[in-house]
Amino acid sequence: MSGQPSLWWIDWRLYRGAVVRETIGRFIFFCLLGFALLSLLLSGGANRFLAERYAITAVLRADVPSSEADGLARKVASLPPVRSAAYRDPEKAWKEFLLAYPGLDSPRDAGGNPMPGYIEIRIRPDRLTRADVGLVVSALRSVPLVEQVLSGEEWFPRQLRAGRIVSWVCRGIFGAFLACFFLVGRLQERARAVALAGDFAFLAERGVPAGRLAFFRAAAAAVSGFLLAAAGTAAGGGALFLFIRKFPFLEAAIGPPSDLLLPRTVAAAVLFSLGSALLCAAASLLGWRAARSGRK
Amino acid sequence: MTRGTGRILAALLAAAVSLCILFPAAAPAARDVAAELRKERGRLLEMKAREEKTVRELTEALRKEKLSKGRVGEMQALLKRQRNLLSRIDRKVSALNGRLDLAEKAVRELDAAHGQARAGLRRAEVAALAGQMAGAGDPWRPSARERELHFMRVRLAADAEGVARIHQARERKEVELSGLERQVAVTERKRTREKKVSDTLLSRKEEERRRLADIGREKKRKEKELKSLRARIARMESVVSRVERQVKERERRARKGAAGGSAAGARAEAPRRFASLSGGLSAPLAGKVVTRFGRQHDATFDVTIENRGVEIEAPSGASVKSVGQGEVAFAGAVSGFGNVLIVQHGGGLFSVYGRLETFLVKQGEAVKRGTVVGRLPGSPSGKSVLYLELRAGGTAIDPTSVIPPDS
Repeated sequence: MSGQPSLWWIDWRLYRGAVVRETIGRFIFFCLLGFALLSLLLSGGANRFLAERYAITAVLRADVPSSEADGLARKVASLPPVRSAAYRDPEKAWKEFLLAYPGLDSPRDAGGNPMPGYIEIRIRPDRLTRADVGLVVSALRSVPLVEQVLSGEEWFPRQLRAGRIVSWVCRGIFGAFLACFFLVGRLQERARAVALAGDFAFLAERGVPAGRLAFFRAAAAAVSGFLLAAAGTAAGGGALFLFIRKFPFLEAAIGPPSDLLLPRTVAAAVLFSLGSALLCAAASLLGWRAARSGRK
Repeated sequence: MTRGTGRILAALLAAAVSLCILFPAAAPAARDVAAELRKERGRLLEMKAREEKTVRELTEALRKEKLSKGRVGEMQALLKRQRNLLSRIDRKVSALNGRLDLAEKAVRELDAAHGQARAGLRRAEVAALAGQMAGAGDPWRPSARERELHFMRVRLAADAEGVARIHQARERKEVELSGLERQVAVTERKRTREKKVSDTLLSRKEEERRRLADIGREKKRKEKELKSLRARIARMESVVSRVERQVKERERRARKGAAGGSAAGARAEAPRRFASLSGGLSAPLAGKVVTRFGRQHDATFDVTIENRGVEIEAPSGASVKSVGQGEVAFAGAVSGFGNVLIVQHGGGLFSVYGRLETFLVKQGEAVKRGTVVGRLPGSPSGKSVLYLELRAGGTAIDPTSVIPPDS
């Protein structure tokens, strides 16, 4: 191919203004998508939100000593689906109860604290399933120290179902944004192909194959797409980090900012960038084809 | 009648009977003296009868006094026991009242506690309802809410249990209270009953005391009367003695010409005359001499009496035999001696048998030594007493000096 002009970044050389505009637009779009992607990754849809609000309560018998209750809490915490297990003694239970029912600040008429101690067990967001919860509940019910296990049997399945729906909706929205991005990108590529049709015809007359031209255009789109997606995701991640730091209550729904640097999060971001590159390439090819067929 | 009084009467009556018997022998010489003697004897007998009656009444009064004193003592003991019983009942009532007060206080406290507990339960129910309606705790944290609801149920159950426990305790206390009230009522009734018994006993005791005082007064009156009677009897006896001496004097003078013996000699010879009685002498019955002849001191009345005969104690219903041969001069009742039989042995010798129940011979009937003339009366103790008197020429002699003992 010596003596022949390089086809890399041909659009940039032939139609720089449009390419700059499109690049800026795509970067912004990738920032938003990266923000959404990382949020979805960290929150697991509605799982983290549900896991923050869901807890299994193991009500202990009245005569259980604190040391045994603490030991039991430690054992429960070692179960795989369990994120944390904390023992609350009867006094603390009584105080919490009075906080919940401030009208009942009268002394205990019946003599003695009627409240039992309990262990509050929280499940990992990624293990918040009926099977895992059932595993923990059945393990607790077999312990003689435990009098009753409150696991929200009535409402928890409904919440799980709702959580699944919310997760799918979030993912669907994210997919829809991706699809939009793809369609817009295709239209931009087509428009640019149409606009540069004369130049491409000139090159074809001089012996440059149309397929080669299309390949280099797609490759350039993929590289630029990858770079833009990576940059956008990184910018989105940074924004998410700042956002969560600024509004800590969002941690309960999204997760801690430190999770952004987890390898799996980074790997997911890289995968997202690669996918974006493929989408950009596909949009370029499809736009080229559309422009060629329209010209014919 | 006491033994001392009996002895006095026996002496007096024996004298009277002797005079009565002897009097007919001297009749031609001293008819006026005999009349006076009969008159005096009648008066003496009458007085003795009165004395006997007074003694009987006095004895009855003493018996009543003793009985009354016994009853008073018995009632005092009963009253003491009753007072002890009443004081025990009072103590019990006091203790029961104390327990009753405590139980009532406990019931009041339990009532208050029950009211507070119910109010607390109602407050808790209202708070639970309000909490339910307001979504107790964080509605975005269903697990916490579920736990709070569970704890509210625990709290309500504990409150309800507390209310039920207080209610049960109150019911138990009320049962105990009603039991105590019943006990108090029963004890009060018992106390009233025992108080009534005490009052009755007290009134009976007072009545008995009044009766005892009456008896005491009656006793004093009778003693005074007896003393007066005895003085009169003594005076009468002196009169009779004087008359008797006159009779004896007449007899002595009458016999002086006939026998030419001296009176002193006759007195000294009297036992010998009995001993020389034709057919001999024998004891009227086998027995023990319980009252001796002559002057004796009576401890009961603190007087010295003159016994003119002896009293022989023998089994009840024993046969009384004549001490010697002779003729029944008298068989009849004499006041103070009961049935009296007199056998005239001749020569101024007489034997007198008193306190017989039945006569087996008649007046004027001849008897020999050992002839059964009568029987002693029966008595619950199995022992009866025979009064035996021997007289020789109007002089009483000691029967034990002429009759061989236990013959």
